[in-house]
Amino acid sequence: MHRHPLTCILPPHMLQAIIENGSASQRDFAILTFKASEQFRGQRVGLTGLRAAVASLVAAGKHRTVYDAQHGSSLPGTKVRDEGDLPSGDLAVDEAYDGSGATYDLYSDIYGRNSIDGNGMKLDSTVHYQQGYDNAFWDGQQMVYGDGDEDSPPAQRLFNRFTIAIDVIGHELTHGVTQFEAKLNYSQQSGALNESFSDVFGSLVKQHHLGQMADKADWIIGEGLFSSNVNGVGIRSMKAPGTAYDDPVLGKDPQPGHMKDYVNTVNDNGGVHINSGIPNHAFYLIAMELGGFAWEKAGLIWYLTLRDKLGATSNFQEAAALTYQVAADQFGPDSLEQQAVSKGWAGVGIDATATTPPTSGDGCLSQMLRLIGAAPAKSTRRIDAD
Amino acid sequence: MRIKFERSGGFAGMLLTGLFNLDQMDEKQSRELRELLDQADFRKLPEQIVSNAPVPDQFTYTISVETKEWQHSVITGDTSAPPELQPLLQTLSKLARSQAWK
Repeated sequence: MHRHPLTCILPPHMLQAIIENGSASQRDFAILTFKASEQFRGQRVGLTGLRAAVASLVAAGKHRTVYDAQHGSSLPGTKVRDEGDLPSGDLAVDEAYDGSGATYDLYSDIYGRNSIDGNGMKLDSTVHYQQGYDNAFWDGQQMVYGDGDEDSPPAQRLFNRFTIAIDVIGHELTHGVTQFEAKLNYSQQSGALNESFSDVFGSLVKQHHLGQMADKADWIIGEGLFSSNVNGVGIRSMKAPGTAYDDPVLGKDPQPGHMKDYVNTVNDNGGVHINSGIPNHAFYLIAMELGGFAWEKAGLIWYLTLRDKLGATSNFQEAAALTYQVAADQFGPDSLEQQAVSKGWAGVGIDATATTPPTSGDGCLSQMLRLIGAAPAKSTRRIDAD
Repeated sequence: MRIKFERSGGFAGMLLTGLFNLDQMDEKQSRELRELLDQADFRKLPEQIVSNAPVPDQFTYTISVETKEWQHSVITGDTSAPPELQPLLQTLSKLARSQAWK
């Protein structure tokens, strides 16, 4: 059954009521439906009021604040730039501001999502965290960026500041989205999926920002993070996992791109940054198979799977089967899109068609009933984020 | 006194390790490390100072100190490490990095 939101004919006035009065995820759904209908059908008549409602709601949601830790460990630090303020002149501050804006825009413009929590959550970033901090992380509430190993002698420096790569910013914010949606446990395969979704949407933030088609993108995570002392193009490669760097000091990129090379390790929460190469490469293969802008089809399938299907303990096999199911929901069974999904996963040694994940007979009517709270949510997801 | 240092995880997922024999290293450096261990009251720290759920992309640190009289290991992360332990984590990271160049 073809179950793209736009095939569910919700009349505009109903969408508008949901956007104005619904819960966060109900609004998300309505906005996504609205955007999908506008994007794919060019349906513009009679939606003026609705479009204004969407625009005002989304505009109200973008609120970025950047703090400076002044090389200490206290968070968030001193406020240095707020939404609407002019550039500060501090590169890290302005990159954190612009990058979180680009991330907000991808989620909002393409997927109709109002910020990290779907409900206009403020986007807080702290830069200049600690000294010699060659890392960035999401602490559950905000993004944190170090300046690289700026305290090392220039000839030994390996990293630049971590705001330098826009996909790193998209990566960190996507950890926030995952925290509010699938809540993937941060270890073993569910952790590697958590990491992979962050890489996928980090890369899509960059591609969307640059207006790049899939075949023009570099599919590198963290391009520009390494100093010129390092032999490498970035931290990870979605196109060719395991090839991003090969350096006498840092060693070689350890990522596998196929299940036969899956790495069992106790470090890194069970190799979450290592085995993420497998689902990363599957996404790359699917996006390349489909062509065009990767965020439109492959990205939509991944977004809806993260939002509606995956759970805390999902593994690679389940993720593959669920993306396969979502592809059928969105584009029809045996559509080119669904075929591309199974082909992409097969390319990394996973049969997406092997198991049938739990379904809920989720047709247009039940989707609408759940939307207005008249039917129970499926076990694998929570319709109402509130 | 010997300090074994391990830093794993992080955005790049790279493992950084270092082994420091304080009796054989530069005197100024070994004095600094002893002071930082005292400042953190290292011997009395719990073995695990971690948050309930792993923090995405955060570093995990394992510091093991061994003397003739005692030995003690602490596992912690960036956001869960107490402020008085932070300078030791940063100094050991820096020393381990420069060791990696040799």
